[in-house]
Amino acid sequence: MNPFWDNIFRSAKYEQSLPYFLSTIPMFDKLDKRELAFLENFVHARNYETDEVVFNEGDIGSGMYVIRSGQAQIFKHDEGGNESVQANLEAGDFFGEIALTASRPRCASARTTKPTVLLGLFRSDIEEAIRRHPAPMAKIMFSLNRVVSDRLLQCSIQLEKAKIQLEEKQSHE
Amino acid sequence: MSNQAGMSRAQVAVLYLVLTTAIASGIAIYSSASTVTALFKTATTGLFLPLLLSLIVSFLLDPLVQFFESNKCNRTLSIFIVYLLLSFLIFILLLIVGPPNWKGMAQALKADFPRYIGHAIEYVNGLLAIIHEHFPIVKSYDIAERLRVASQSFFGLIIKETPRSAMRIGSLLLLVPLFSFFFLRDSRRIMRGVIAMTPNRYFEMVLDIYAHVSWQLSHFIRGRILEALIIGCVVWIGLSFTDIPYAPILAIIAGATNLVPYVGPLIGMIPGLIIAIVDLGMGGQFWWILCVYVLIAQVILDNFILIPILISKVSNLHPLWVILAIIMGGKLYGVMGMIIGVPIASIVNIIILEIRQYRRTFNLYNRYFTSRGKLL
Repeated sequence: MNPFWDNIFRSAKYEQSLPYFLSTIPMFDKLDKRELAFLENFVHARNYETDEVVFNEGDIGSGMYVIRSGQAQIFKHDEGGNESVQANLEAGDFFGEIALTASRPRCASARTTKPTVLLGLFRSDIEEAIRRHPAPMAKIMFSLNRVVSDRLLQCSIQLEKAKIQLEEKQSHE
Repeated sequence: MSNQAGMSRAQVAVLYLVLTTAIASGIAIYSSASTVTALFKTATTGLFLPLLLSLIVSFLLDPLVQFFESNKCNRTLSIFIVYLLLSFLIFILLLIVGPPNWKGMAQALKADFPRYIGHAIEYVNGLLAIIHEHFPIVKSYDIAERLRVASQSFFGLIIKETPRSAMRIGSLLLLVPLFSFFFLRDSRRIMRGVIAMTPNRYFEMVLDIYAHVSWQLSHFIRGRILEALIIGCVVWIGLSFTDIPYAPILAIIAGATNLVPYVGPLIGMIPGLIIAIVDLGMGGQFWWILCVYVLIAQVILDNFILIPILISKVSNLHPLWVILAIIMGGKLYGVMGMIIGVPIASIVNIIILEIRQYRRTFNLYNRYFTSRGKLL
Protein backbone atom coordinates (compact mmCIF):
# COMPACT_ATOMS: atom_id res chain seq x y z
CA MET A 1 0.00 0.00 0.00
CA ASN A 2 0.96 3.59 -0.50
CA PRO A 3 3.20 4.65 2.41
CA PHE A 4 1.40 8.01 2.49
CA TRP A 5 -1.96 6.40 3.26
CA ASP A 6 -0.17 3.96 5.49
CA ASN A 7 0.97 6.84 7.65
CA ILE A 8 -2.45 8.40 7.86
CA PHE A 9 -4.40 5.26 8.58
CA ARG A 10 -1.83 3.65 10.79
CA SER A 11 -3.74 2.12 13.64
CA ALA A 12 -1.92 1.77 16.92
CA LYS A 13 -1.13 -1.93 17.19
CA TYR A 14 -2.29 -3.57 20.34
CA GLU A 15 1.28 -4.76 20.93
CA GLN A 16 2.39 -1.14 21.29
CA SER A 17 -0.40 -0.06 23.59
CA LEU A 18 -0.14 0.47 27.31
CA PRO A 19 -2.62 -2.30 28.23
CA TYR A 20 -0.59 -4.84 26.30
CA PHE A 21 2.60 -3.68 27.96
CA LEU A 22 0.96 -3.98 31.38
CA SER A 23 -0.18 -7.52 30.59
CA THR A 24 3.46 -8.56 30.12
CA ILE A 25 4.30 -7.56 33.70
CA PRO A 26 4.09 -10.61 36.00
CA MET A 27 2.06 -8.66 38.52
CA PHE A 28 -0.72 -8.00 36.03
CA ASP A 29 -0.63 -11.13 33.89
CA LYS A 30 -3.88 -12.53 35.31
CA LEU A 31 -5.98 -9.58 34.13
CA ASP A 32 -8.17 -9.70 31.05
CA LYS A 33 -8.38 -6.92 28.48
CA ARG A 34 -11.18 -5.02 30.18
CA GLU A 35 -9.46 -5.06 33.53
CA LEU A 36 -6.24 -3.91 31.90
CA ALA A 37 -8.17 -0.95 30.53
CA PHE A 38 -9.25 -0.08 34.08
CA LEU A 39 -5.68 -0.38 35.23
CA GLU A 40 -4.53 1.93 32.46
CA ASN A 41 -6.54 4.69 34.13
CA PHE A 42 -4.78 4.16 37.42
CA VAL A 43 -1.12 4.22 36.42
CA HIS A 44 0.78 7.46 35.94
CA ALA A 45 3.27 7.67 33.08
CA ARG A 46 6.24 9.80 34.10
CA ASN A 47 9.13 10.92 31.91
CA TYR A 48 12.64 11.00 33.36
CA GLU A 49 15.87 12.43 32.01
CA THR A 50 19.20 10.60 32.16
CA ASP A 51 20.58 10.44 35.72
CA GLU A 52 17.43 11.67 37.38
CA VAL A 53 16.77 10.39 40.87
CA VAL A 54 13.46 8.54 41.16
CA PHE A 55 13.62 8.17 44.92
CA ASN A 56 16.26 8.22 47.61
CA GLU A 57 16.99 5.67 50.27
CA GLY A 58 14.94 6.58 53.36
CA ASP A 59 12.25 8.48 51.45
CA ILE A 60 8.74 7.56 52.42
CA GLY A 61 7.55 5.51 49.50
CA SER A 62 4.04 5.55 48.20
CA GLY A 63 4.16 3.19 45.27
CA MET A 64 5.97 1.09 42.73
CA TYR A 65 7.38 1.84 39.29
CA VAL A 66 7.44 -0.23 36.11
CA ILE A 67 9.97 0.64 33.44
CA ARG A 68 8.14 1.18 30.15
CA SER A 69 11.26 2.12 28.25
CA GLY A 70 14.80 3.05 29.18
CA GLN A 71 16.94 1.94 32.07
CA ALA A 72 17.08 2.38 35.81
CA GLN A 73 19.61 1.60 38.46
CA ILE A 74 19.04 0.60 42.07
CA PHE A 75 21.86 1.55 44.38
CA LYS A 76 22.72 1.93 48.04
CA HIS A 77 25.05 4.14 50.04
CA ASP A 78 27.14 2.42 52.71
CA GLU A 79 28.34 4.19 55.87
CA GLY A 80 31.37 5.63 54.12
CA GLY A 81 29.14 7.25 51.54
CA ASN A 82 30.26 4.88 48.76
CA GLU A 83 27.75 3.79 46.22
CA SER A 84 27.11 0.13 45.56
CA VAL A 85 24.90 -0.74 42.62
CA GLN A 86 22.34 -3.38 43.51
CA ALA A 87 20.65 -3.91 40.19
CA ASN A 88 20.39 -2.56 36.66
CA LEU A 89 16.82 -2.74 35.44
CA GLU A 90 15.54 -2.77 31.86
CA ALA A 91 12.17 -2.17 30.25
CA GLY A 92 9.55 -4.50 31.73
CA ASP A 93 11.19 -4.67 35.17
CA PHE A 94 9.58 -3.14 38.24
CA PHE A 95 10.86 -1.84 41.53
CA GLY A 96 9.61 -0.25 44.74
CA GLU A 97 6.73 -2.68 45.21
CA ILE A 98 7.36 -2.93 48.97
CA ALA A 99 5.99 0.59 49.44
CA LEU A 100 2.78 -0.25 47.60
CA THR A 101 0.85 -1.65 50.54
CA ALA A 102 2.18 0.47 53.42
CA SER A 103 4.24 3.62 53.67
CA ARG A 104 7.68 2.27 54.49
CA PRO A 105 10.96 4.06 53.96
CA ARG A 106 12.64 3.09 50.69
CA CYS A 107 15.46 0.62 51.37
CA ALA A 108 17.53 1.69 48.36
CA SER A 109 17.78 4.61 45.96
CA ALA A 110 16.80 4.51 42.32
CA ARG A 111 17.86 6.63 39.39
CA THR A 112 17.53 6.49 35.65
CA THR A 113 20.57 5.94 33.45
CA LYS A 114 18.87 6.76 30.14
CA PRO A 115 15.90 8.88 29.17
CA THR A 116 13.21 6.69 30.68
CA VAL A 117 9.45 6.38 30.88
CA LEU A 118 8.28 4.97 34.19
CA LEU A 119 4.76 3.84 34.98
CA GLY A 120 3.94 4.65 38.58
CA LEU A 121 1.29 2.73 40.47
CA PHE A 122 0.58 4.31 43.84
CA ARG A 123 -1.10 3.32 47.05
CA SER A 124 -3.73 6.05 47.05
CA ASP A 125 -4.87 5.03 43.56
CA ILE A 126 -4.94 1.37 44.56
CA GLU A 127 -7.10 2.21 47.56
CA GLU A 128 -9.57 4.06 45.37
CA ALA A 129 -9.50 1.31 42.75
CA ILE A 130 -10.31 -1.30 45.39
CA ARG A 131 -13.45 0.65 46.19
CA ARG A 132 -14.43 1.03 42.55
CA HIS A 133 -13.31 -2.22 40.92
CA PRO A 134 -12.84 -4.80 43.67
CA ALA A 135 -12.50 -7.88 41.44
CA PRO A 136 -9.54 -6.93 39.24
CA MET A 137 -7.81 -5.32 42.18
CA ALA A 138 -8.07 -8.58 44.12
CA LYS A 139 -6.27 -10.27 41.24
CA ILE A 140 -3.55 -7.64 41.30
CA MET A 141 -3.10 -7.89 45.04
CA PHE A 142 -2.90 -11.68 44.76
CA SER A 143 -0.19 -11.44 42.12
CA LEU A 144 1.63 -8.84 44.16
CA ASN A 145 1.56 -11.21 47.08
CA ARG A 146 2.99 -13.93 44.84
CA VAL A 147 5.83 -11.69 43.65
CA VAL A 148 6.70 -10.60 47.16
CA SER A 149 6.59 -14.15 48.52
CA ASP A 150 8.83 -15.33 45.68
CA ARG A 151 11.33 -12.69 46.67
CA LEU A 152 11.03 -13.66 50.32
CA LEU A 153 11.59 -17.31 49.45
CA GLN A 154 14.66 -16.42 47.38
CA CYS A 155 15.89 -14.25 50.18
CA SER A 156 15.54 -16.98 52.79
CA ILE A 157 17.29 -19.52 50.52
CA GLN A 158 20.18 -17.10 50.06
CA LEU A 159 20.27 -16.44 53.77
CA GLU A 160 20.43 -20.17 54.42
CA LYS A 161 23.31 -20.50 51.94
CA ALA A 162 25.17 -17.61 53.54
CA LYS A 163 24.68 -19.17 56.95
CA ILE A 164 26.15 -22.48 55.77
CA GLN A 165 29.09 -20.70 54.18
CA LEU A 166 29.71 -18.78 57.36
CA GLU A 167 29.61 -21.93 59.44
CA GLU A 168 32.05 -23.64 57.06
CA LYS A 169 34.38 -20.67 57.30
CA GLN A 170 34.22 -20.70 61.08
CA SER A 171 34.89 -24.43 61.24
CA HIS A 172 37.97 -23.97 58.98
CA GLU A 173 39.45 -21.40 61.31
CA MET B 1 23.24 70.80 23.23
CA SER B 2 25.29 68.39 25.33
CA ASN B 3 23.77 67.74 28.70
CA GLN B 4 25.27 67.02 32.11
CA ALA B 5 25.03 63.24 31.96
CA GLY B 6 27.31 63.22 28.97
CA MET B 7 24.77 61.83 26.54
CA SER B 8 24.52 62.92 22.96
CA ARG B 9 21.31 64.33 21.57
CA ALA B 10 20.55 61.03 19.78
CA GLN B 11 20.92 59.08 23.00
CA VAL B 12 18.57 61.41 24.84
CA ALA B 13 16.04 61.06 22.03
CA VAL B 14 16.27 57.30 22.20
CA LEU B 15 15.94 57.33 25.97
CA TYR B 16 12.92 59.62 25.70
CA LEU B 17 11.32 57.38 23.09
CA VAL B 18 11.98 54.24 25.10
CA LEU B 19 10.55 55.74 28.27
CA THR B 20 7.41 57.03 26.56
CA THR B 21 6.79 53.70 24.84
CA ALA B 22 7.36 51.90 28.11
CA ILE B 23 4.89 54.11 29.97
CA ALA B 24 2.35 54.00 27.13
CA SER B 25 2.50 50.24 26.82
CA GLY B 26 2.33 49.95 30.58
CA ILE B 27 -0.86 52.01 30.64
CA ALA B 28 -2.26 50.05 27.69
CA ILE B 29 -1.52 46.71 29.33
CA TYR B 30 -2.93 47.91 32.63
CA SER B 31 -6.17 49.20 31.13
CA SER B 32 -6.64 46.18 28.89
CA ALA B 33 -5.90 43.91 31.84
CA SER B 34 -8.53 45.66 33.91
CA THR B 35 -11.03 45.39 31.06
CA VAL B 36 -10.11 41.73 30.69
CA THR B 37 -10.67 41.11 34.38
CA ALA B 38 -13.91 43.09 34.17
CA LEU B 39 -15.00 40.99 31.22
CA PHE B 40 -14.02 37.87 33.10
CA LYS B 41 -16.00 39.06 36.10
CA THR B 42 -19.16 39.72 34.10
CA ALA B 43 -18.74 36.43 32.29
CA THR B 44 -18.52 34.45 35.50
CA THR B 45 -21.19 36.17 37.58
CA GLY B 46 -23.92 33.75 38.49
CA LEU B 47 -21.66 30.79 37.80
CA PHE B 48 -20.33 30.62 41.33
CA LEU B 49 -23.51 29.27 42.89
CA PRO B 50 -24.29 26.57 40.29
CA LEU B 51 -20.68 25.41 40.32
CA LEU B 52 -20.63 25.22 44.10
CA LEU B 53 -23.96 23.43 44.26
CA SER B 54 -22.98 20.93 41.61
CA LEU B 55 -19.70 20.24 43.41
CA ILE B 56 -21.71 19.55 46.56
CA VAL B 57 -24.15 17.36 44.67
CA SER B 58 -21.33 15.40 43.08
CA PHE B 59 -19.69 14.91 46.49
CA LEU B 60 -23.01 13.63 47.81
CA LEU B 61 -23.72 11.27 44.92
CA ASP B 62 -20.20 9.90 44.57
CA PRO B 63 -20.64 7.00 47.04
CA LEU B 64 -23.81 5.88 45.25
CA VAL B 65 -22.08 6.01 41.87
CA GLN B 66 -19.18 4.06 43.30
CA PHE B 67 -21.58 1.43 44.60
CA PHE B 68 -23.01 0.82 41.14
CA GLU B 69 -19.56 1.00 39.60
CA SER B 70 -18.22 -1.71 41.89
CA ASN B 71 -21.02 -3.93 40.56
CA LYS B 72 -19.51 -3.96 37.10
CA CYS B 73 -21.20 -0.96 35.52
CA ASN B 74 -19.05 1.60 33.82
CA ARG B 75 -18.98 5.03 35.37
CA THR B 76 -21.20 6.90 32.91
CA LEU B 77 -23.85 4.22 33.11
CA SER B 78 -23.80 4.17 36.88
CA ILE B 79 -24.15 7.97 36.99
CA PHE B 80 -27.22 7.64 34.75
CA ILE B 81 -28.62 4.94 37.01
CA VAL B 82 -28.15 7.15 40.05
CA TYR B 83 -29.78 10.11 38.28
CA LEU B 84 -32.72 7.96 37.23
CA LEU B 85 -33.18 6.54 40.70
CA LEU B 86 -32.99 9.99 42.23
CA SER B 87 -35.53 11.56 39.89
CA PHE B 88 -37.81 8.57 40.40
CA LEU B 89 -37.52 8.98 44.16
CA ILE B 90 -38.33 12.70 43.98
CA PHE B 91 -41.27 11.95 41.69
CA ILE B 92 -42.65 9.32 44.09
CA LEU B 93 -42.16 11.68 47.02
CA LEU B 94 -44.05 14.42 45.22
CA LEU B 95 -46.83 11.96 44.38
CA ILE B 96 -47.21 10.78 47.94
CA VAL B 97 -46.70 13.97 49.90
CA GLY B 98 -47.80 16.34 47.20
CA PRO B 99 -45.72 19.40 46.43
CA PRO B 100 -45.70 21.84 49.31
CA ASN B 101 -47.65 24.94 48.37
CA TRP B 102 -44.61 27.22 47.95
CA LYS B 103 -46.37 29.95 46.03
CA GLY B 104 -49.23 30.31 48.43
CA MET B 105 -46.85 30.20 51.32
CA ALA B 106 -44.68 32.93 49.84
CA GLN B 107 -47.72 35.11 49.26
CA ALA B 108 -49.00 34.56 52.76
CA LEU B 109 -45.57 35.27 54.18
CA LYS B 110 -45.47 38.52 52.25
CA ALA B 111 -48.66 39.57 53.96
CA ASP B 112 -47.64 38.29 57.37
CA PHE B 113 -44.06 39.47 57.45
CA PRO B 114 -44.73 43.08 58.55
CA ARG B 115 -46.95 41.77 61.30
CA TYR B 116 -44.19 39.54 62.66
CA ILE B 117 -41.64 42.30 62.45
CA GLY B 118 -44.02 44.69 64.17
CA HIS B 119 -44.46 42.27 67.05
CA ALA B 120 -40.74 41.69 67.28
CA ILE B 121 -40.10 45.43 67.41
CA GLU B 122 -42.77 45.85 70.06
CA TYR B 123 -41.10 43.14 72.09
CA VAL B 124 -37.68 44.73 71.66
CA ASN B 125 -39.15 48.10 72.65
CA GLY B 126 -40.51 46.58 75.84
CA LEU B 127 -37.09 45.14 76.54
CA LEU B 128 -35.48 48.49 75.80
CA ALA B 129 -37.78 50.27 78.20
CA ILE B 130 -36.60 47.96 80.97
CA ILE B 131 -32.97 48.51 79.96
CA HIS B 132 -33.44 52.28 79.84
CA GLU B 133 -34.67 52.22 83.40
CA HIS B 134 -31.51 50.56 84.59
CA PHE B 135 -28.94 51.92 82.17
CA PRO B 136 -29.99 55.37 80.98
CA ILE B 137 -26.86 55.61 78.87
CA VAL B 138 -28.30 53.23 76.26
CA LYS B 139 -30.98 55.73 75.32
CA SER B 140 -28.75 57.41 72.77
CA TYR B 141 -28.85 54.29 70.59
CA ASP B 142 -32.25 53.94 68.99
CA ILE B 143 -32.07 50.20 68.50
CA ALA B 144 -35.75 49.67 67.74
CA GLU B 145 -35.73 52.26 64.97
CA ARG B 146 -32.64 50.78 63.43
CA LEU B 147 -34.13 47.32 63.57
CA ARG B 148 -37.27 48.57 61.84
CA VAL B 149 -35.31 50.23 59.04
CA ALA B 150 -33.08 47.21 58.54
CA SER B 151 -35.98 44.77 58.45
CA GLN B 152 -37.91 46.95 56.01
CA SER B 153 -34.98 47.15 53.62
CA PHE B 154 -34.48 43.38 53.97
CA PHE B 155 -38.13 42.76 53.23
CA GLY B 156 -38.00 45.04 50.20
CA LEU B 157 -35.01 43.12 48.96
CA ILE B 158 -36.89 39.84 49.28
CA ILE B 159 -39.88 41.15 47.34
CA LYS B 160 -37.64 42.55 44.64
CA GLU B 161 -35.51 39.43 44.37
CA THR B 162 -38.28 36.83 44.33
CA PRO B 163 -39.07 36.81 40.58
CA ARG B 164 -35.38 37.02 39.73
CA SER B 165 -34.54 34.20 42.10
CA ALA B 166 -37.33 32.12 40.58
CA MET B 167 -35.57 32.49 37.24
CA ARG B 168 -32.29 31.62 38.85
CA ILE B 169 -33.77 28.52 40.42
CA GLY B 170 -34.96 27.47 36.97
CA SER B 171 -31.47 27.86 35.54
CA LEU B 172 -30.03 26.08 38.56
CA LEU B 173 -32.32 23.13 37.97
CA LEU B 174 -30.89 22.91 34.49
CA LEU B 175 -27.24 23.66 35.20
CA VAL B 176 -26.62 21.77 38.43
CA PRO B 177 -27.43 18.27 37.13
CA LEU B 178 -25.40 18.95 34.00
CA PHE B 179 -22.35 20.24 35.86
CA SER B 180 -22.48 17.55 38.50
CA PHE B 181 -22.73 14.88 35.80
CA PHE B 182 -19.43 16.04 34.36
CA PHE B 183 -17.88 16.48 37.79
CA LEU B 184 -18.87 12.94 38.70
CA ARG B 185 -17.63 11.49 35.44
CA ASP B 186 -14.42 13.41 34.87
CA SER B 187 -13.25 14.79 38.20
CA ARG B 188 -10.65 12.04 38.54
CA ARG B 189 -9.29 12.68 35.07
CA ILE B 190 -9.16 16.44 35.66
CA MET B 191 -7.34 16.06 38.96
CA ARG B 192 -4.93 13.52 37.45
CA GLY B 193 -4.10 16.02 34.75
CA VAL B 194 -3.43 18.71 37.33
CA ILE B 195 -1.30 16.46 39.52
CA ALA B 196 0.65 15.20 36.51
CA MET B 197 2.13 18.68 36.16
CA THR B 198 4.17 18.39 39.36
CA PRO B 199 7.87 17.67 38.93
CA ASN B 200 9.03 14.06 39.32
CA ARG B 201 10.77 14.66 42.61
CA TYR B 202 7.61 15.83 44.41
CA PHE B 203 5.10 13.73 42.53
CA GLU B 204 4.67 11.02 45.17
CA MET B 205 4.28 13.55 47.96
CA VAL B 206 1.73 15.63 46.08
CA LEU B 207 -0.26 12.54 45.15
CA ASP B 208 -0.32 11.33 48.75
CA ILE B 209 -1.34 14.71 50.14
CA TYR B 210 -4.02 15.05 47.50
CA ALA B 211 -5.44 11.64 48.38
CA HIS B 212 -5.58 12.52 52.08
CA VAL B 213 -7.10 15.94 51.53
CA SER B 214 -9.74 14.73 49.11
CA TRP B 215 -10.73 11.90 51.45
CA GLN B 216 -11.14 14.27 54.39
CA LEU B 217 -12.92 16.87 52.28
CA SER B 218 -15.44 14.49 50.82
CA HIS B 219 -16.26 13.14 54.27
CA PHE B 220 -16.54 16.62 55.72
CA ILE B 221 -18.78 17.99 52.98
CA ARG B 222 -20.95 14.89 52.89
CA GLY B 223 -21.23 14.93 56.67
CA ARG B 224 -22.18 18.60 56.86
CA ILE B 225 -24.81 18.36 54.12
CA LEU B 226 -26.35 15.21 55.55
CA GLU B 227 -26.39 16.84 58.98
CA ALA B 228 -28.20 19.90 57.62
CA LEU B 229 -30.69 17.72 55.73
CA ILE B 230 -31.49 15.58 58.77
CA ILE B 231 -31.83 18.60 61.05
CA GLY B 232 -34.13 20.26 58.51
CA CYS B 233 -36.33 17.16 58.27
CA VAL B 234 -36.52 16.75 62.03
CA VAL B 235 -37.44 20.39 62.54
CA TRP B 236 -40.09 20.09 59.83
CA ILE B 237 -41.62 17.01 61.43
CA GLY B 238 -41.41 18.54 64.89
CA LEU B 239 -43.02 21.79 63.77
CA SER B 240 -45.80 20.09 61.84
CA PHE B 241 -47.12 18.68 65.13
CA THR B 242 -48.07 22.25 66.03
CA ASP B 243 -50.30 24.75 64.27
CA ILE B 244 -47.39 26.93 63.25
CA PRO B 245 -47.58 28.19 59.65
CA TYR B 246 -44.61 28.04 57.25
CA ALA B 247 -43.12 24.87 58.77
CA PRO B 248 -41.27 23.92 55.53
CA ILE B 249 -39.70 27.37 55.18
CA LEU B 250 -38.65 27.38 58.82
CA ALA B 251 -37.18 23.90 58.41
CA ILE B 252 -35.14 25.05 55.41
CA ILE B 253 -33.89 28.04 57.39
CA ALA B 254 -32.95 25.79 60.31
CA GLY B 255 -31.12 23.35 58.05
CA ALA B 256 -29.24 26.01 56.09
CA THR B 257 -28.14 27.96 59.16
CA ASN B 258 -27.03 24.70 60.76
CA LEU B 259 -24.12 24.73 58.30
CA VAL B 260 -22.61 27.54 60.38
CA PRO B 261 -21.34 26.19 63.68
CA TYR B 262 -21.98 27.92 67.05
CA VAL B 263 -23.93 30.93 65.74
CA GLY B 264 -25.99 29.32 63.01
CA PRO B 265 -28.49 27.27 65.01
CA LEU B 266 -29.20 30.24 67.29
CA ILE B 267 -30.02 32.49 64.34
CA GLY B 268 -31.93 29.70 62.62
CA MET B 269 -34.39 29.38 65.48
CA ILE B 270 -35.18 33.12 65.80
CA PRO B 271 -37.76 33.35 62.97
CA GLY B 272 -39.49 30.21 64.18
CA LEU B 273 -39.72 31.52 67.73
CA ILE B 274 -40.99 34.93 66.60
CA ILE B 275 -43.72 33.35 64.49
CA ALA B 276 -44.61 31.03 67.33
CA ILE B 277 -44.97 33.90 69.82
CA VAL B 278 -46.98 36.05 67.45
CA ASP B 279 -49.34 33.40 66.10
CA LEU B 280 -49.58 30.87 68.89
CA GLY B 281 -48.80 32.88 72.00
CA MET B 282 -46.80 31.78 74.99
CA GLY B 283 -48.65 28.48 75.37
CA GLY B 284 -47.61 24.89 75.42
CA GLN B 285 -47.04 24.92 71.67
CA PHE B 286 -44.39 27.59 72.01
CA TRP B 287 -42.50 25.52 74.53
CA TRP B 288 -42.79 22.46 72.30
CA ILE B 289 -41.34 24.45 69.38
CA LEU B 290 -38.50 25.70 71.54
CA CYS B 291 -37.97 22.12 72.66
CA VAL B 292 -37.86 20.93 69.05
CA TYR B 293 -35.31 23.58 68.09
CA VAL B 294 -33.02 23.37 71.09
CA LEU B 295 -33.37 20.04 72.78
CA ILE B 296 -34.31 17.63 70.01
CA ALA B 297 -32.57 19.13 66.98
CA GLN B 298 -29.50 20.64 68.55
CA VAL B 299 -28.67 18.86 71.75
CA ILE B 300 -29.86 15.31 71.21
CA LEU B 301 -29.66 14.88 67.46
CA ASP B 302 -26.78 17.14 66.49
CA ASN B 303 -24.47 16.94 69.47
CA PHE B 304 -25.03 13.38 70.59
CA ILE B 305 -25.80 11.55 67.36
CA LEU B 306 -24.89 13.36 64.16
CA ILE B 307 -21.63 15.14 64.93
CA PRO B 308 -19.93 12.09 66.48
CA ILE B 309 -21.03 9.87 63.61
CA LEU B 310 -20.63 12.19 60.64
CA ILE B 311 -17.92 14.70 61.42
CA SER B 312 -15.82 13.27 64.23
CA LYS B 313 -12.87 12.74 61.92
CA VAL B 314 -12.34 16.39 61.27
CA SER B 315 -11.35 18.80 63.98
CA ASN B 316 -13.53 21.84 64.34
CA LEU B 317 -12.64 25.41 63.66
CA HIS B 318 -11.82 27.79 66.50
CA PRO B 319 -14.81 30.08 67.26
CA LEU B 320 -12.73 33.14 66.40
CA TRP B 321 -12.15 31.82 62.87
CA VAL B 322 -15.85 31.03 62.58
CA ILE B 323 -16.80 34.63 63.36
CA LEU B 324 -14.13 36.00 61.02
CA ALA B 325 -15.31 33.69 58.23
CA ILE B 326 -18.92 34.76 58.71
CA ILE B 327 -18.01 38.45 58.57
CA MET B 328 -15.75 38.09 55.55
CA GLY B 329 -18.21 35.84 53.73
CA GLY B 330 -20.98 38.34 54.39
CA LYS B 331 -18.86 41.16 52.97
CA LEU B 332 -18.14 39.16 49.81
CA TYR B 333 -21.44 37.44 49.02
CA GLY B 334 -24.10 38.69 51.44
CA VAL B 335 -26.31 36.22 53.26
CA MET B 336 -25.21 33.38 50.98
CA GLY B 337 -21.59 34.16 51.79
CA MET B 338 -22.30 34.06 55.51
CA ILE B 339 -23.57 30.50 55.17
CA ILE B 340 -20.87 29.34 52.77
CA GLY B 341 -17.99 31.17 54.46
CA VAL B 342 -17.58 28.84 57.41
CA PRO B 343 -17.56 25.58 55.42
CA ILE B 344 -14.99 27.09 53.06
CA ALA B 345 -12.86 28.17 56.02
CA SER B 346 -13.08 24.64 57.41
CA ILE B 347 -12.02 23.25 54.05
CA VAL B 348 -8.92 25.46 54.08
CA ASN B 349 -8.34 24.35 57.67
CA ILE B 350 -8.53 20.69 56.66
CA ILE B 351 -6.06 21.21 53.84
CA ILE B 352 -3.57 22.93 56.15
CA LEU B 353 -4.00 20.29 58.87
CA GLU B 354 -3.50 17.45 56.41
CA ILE B 355 -0.33 18.91 54.93
CA ARG B 356 1.08 19.53 58.40
CA GLN B 357 0.15 16.04 59.49
CA TYR B 358 1.80 14.59 56.41
CA ARG B 359 5.00 16.50 56.98
CA ARG B 360 5.08 15.52 60.63
CA THR B 361 4.52 11.81 60.10
CA PHE B 362 6.90 11.54 57.23
CA ASN B 363 9.39 13.89 58.77
CA LEU B 364 10.43 15.27 55.44
CA TYR B 365 13.41 17.27 56.52
CA ASN B 366 14.82 15.60 59.63
CA ARG B 367 16.24 12.64 57.79
CA TYR B 368 18.76 14.77 55.98
CA PHE B 369 20.40 15.54 59.31
CA THR B 370 22.50 13.25 61.45
CA SER B 371 21.77 12.88 65.12
CA ARG B 372 24.22 15.70 65.86
CA GLY B 373 22.38 18.04 63.55
CA LYS B 374 24.97 18.01 60.77
CA LEU B 375 23.77 18.17 57.23
CA LEU B 376 24.53 14.91 55.44
